[in-house]
Amino acid sequence: MNIEIKDLRFTYPTGLEAVSGISLTLEAGEQVAIVGQNGAGKTTLVRHFNGLLQPTSGSVKIGDWDTKKTSVAKLASRVGYVFQNPDEQLFSRDVLTEVTFGPRNLGYSKEKTDGLVERALALTELSDKTETNPYDLSPTWRKMVALASIIAMDTPIVIFDEPTTGQDAVNVARIANVIAELQKEGKTVITITHDIDFCAENFERVVALSKGQVLLDGPAREILGQEEILAQTYVEPPQLTRLGKRLRLKETVRNQEEFLNAIARRA
Amino acid sequence: MHERLSFHIKRDSFIHNLNPLTKLVLTLTLILIAFTFPWYWTPHLLVLVAIIPLSLLGKVFREFSVTALRLILPAAGFLFLMQAFFQPVGSDVIFKFYFLDVTQESLMFAFRNAMRVFVMVSAFTLFLVTTHPSELMSDLTRRGLPGQFSYVIISTLQILPQIIAKSQTIIAAQRSRGLDTESSFFKRAGSLIPLVGPLVFGSLMEVEERAIAIEARGFTSKQTKTSLHEIPDPSFDQMLRWVLVALIILSIALNLWLS
Ligand SMILES: Nc1ncnc2c1ncn2[C@@H]1O[C@H](COP(=O)(O)OP(=O)(O)O)[C@@H](O)[C@H]1O
Ligand SMILES: [Mg+2]
Repeated sequence: MNIEIKDLRFTYPTGLEAVSGISLTLEAGEQVAIVGQNGAGKTTLVRHFNGLLQPTSGSVKIGDWDTKKTSVAKLASRVGYVFQNPDEQLFSRDVLTEVTFGPRNLGYSKEKTDGLVERALALTELSDKTETNPYDLSPTWRKMVALASIIAMDTPIVIFDEPTTGQDAVNVARIANVIAELQKEGKTVITITHDIDFCAENFERVVALSKGQVLLDGPAREILGQEEILAQTYVEPPQLTRLGKRLRLKETVRNQEEFLNAIARRA
Repeated sequence: MHERLSFHIKRDSFIHNLNPLTKLVLTLTLILIAFTFPWYWTPHLLVLVAIIPLSLLGKVFREFSVTALRLILPAAGFLFLMQAFFQPVGSDVIFKFYFLDVTQESLMFAFRNAMRVFVMVSAFTLFLVTTHPSELMSDLTRRGLPGQFSYVIISTLQILPQIIAKSQTIIAAQRSRGLDTESSFFKRAGSLIPLVGPLVFGSLMEVEERAIAIEARGFTSKQTKTSLHEIPDPSFDQMLRWVLVALIILSIALNLWLS
């Protein structure tokens, strides 16, 4: 299921134009990272994908549905959106109710709902915390509850808004694992992130936003090498990429494996 | 956070820059004179020579007239009708409406009372529009108002915008997970139920967090506190306040003397 964005513009009631003319096509099954400085308009952009925000002009299509003509509740069957701040997303008494909320609304059968919930809880390692109140969990685990509650909806498109911000290394690995799992299932995963190493290791395509516009868009390998342009939106290439540049490696490297291979070839 | 429901409009004007206490005294002066000065046309004149010029001086005339037209005038108009019909004074019947007599006296009486209420509400509106609530409170606290008292006032002013913002957040979260809040009435009413728990619970959590936050900044400390944000109180303001107080006393004295 493709996402098609055409000449999207969005102005907040305060008069601030947060998205100033973005056109993008995100293919089914793609793993896309969106990067860019704070206030670049990343959250504003993805909130259009599930209809929480409506374009001031231009259009967003999810498959054959125009978000202008489709309710948020209906779009929820195609687009799952994990909020930037789990405290804005969680509202149930306990983890199980929270995770069941989405699939139940989507009208799946009891068996299917139970299966999806169980799988989401297992993926996020929450299976032993089902009766806990989300607010009694640490922020890192609250984030996992937010993830689980969206994964359980089994939507073809999943959006993560800064999933790794403020998370410890163990949890970042858990989140990466969840994303890899969704990828295996052929889902489209769109992730907003400031963590450029996380971006380099987990995503094939990178879109860099700056001031409400697309600055760069392409394969991660190409984009992450463009140090000067990325600097415009205050994004630094991953450490290994920068080190590789300094060592004058021929190709842009993104992770340890590529780096070591390049070094080995040169030696 | 955007201050959605505070009436304050941020502008740079003579009125905005007055000390909050001066503005409060000014508001009370207008109201007290409108109600006590023993001349029939006082409230009417006040609107023309004080309220409207002040709103122009405060650069809020447009916003102010919108509020006045939409809120204050209908209310004053309603009061006018009620009093014109039901105030049993005078004998000079102008017209009859079924069993209700409208006399010239009751009309005059109603007109003045409606204008008094108009002055009262519009003076307060002007005050709220040109004064930031927290500025008013820090000024009053500096002058010796107990901190607990200002806290109650400020948090009351903030609670509605906060609850609205919070419920919108929760509704957005629930709709993003397929809760249909847009279709039938019953579905919509039903969707309020999952909202209530988180709203009440979340608001209580916030109260606790805020209590901890303000205590961490020495809220109940007995020491004299300094303020990062000094609110100026030039001698012009102090003089103006005395003049206004004198006007109030004069008006009340005349009222008592003539009655
Ligand atoms: N609800 C809102 N009302 C007004 N302005 C907003 C709102 N949310 C975000 N903005 C503004 O829109 C711009 C883009 O914000 P956002 O999309 O959240 O950026 P990002 O997610 O890239 O950090 C920022 O300047 C931000 O201040
Ligand atoms: Mg954001």
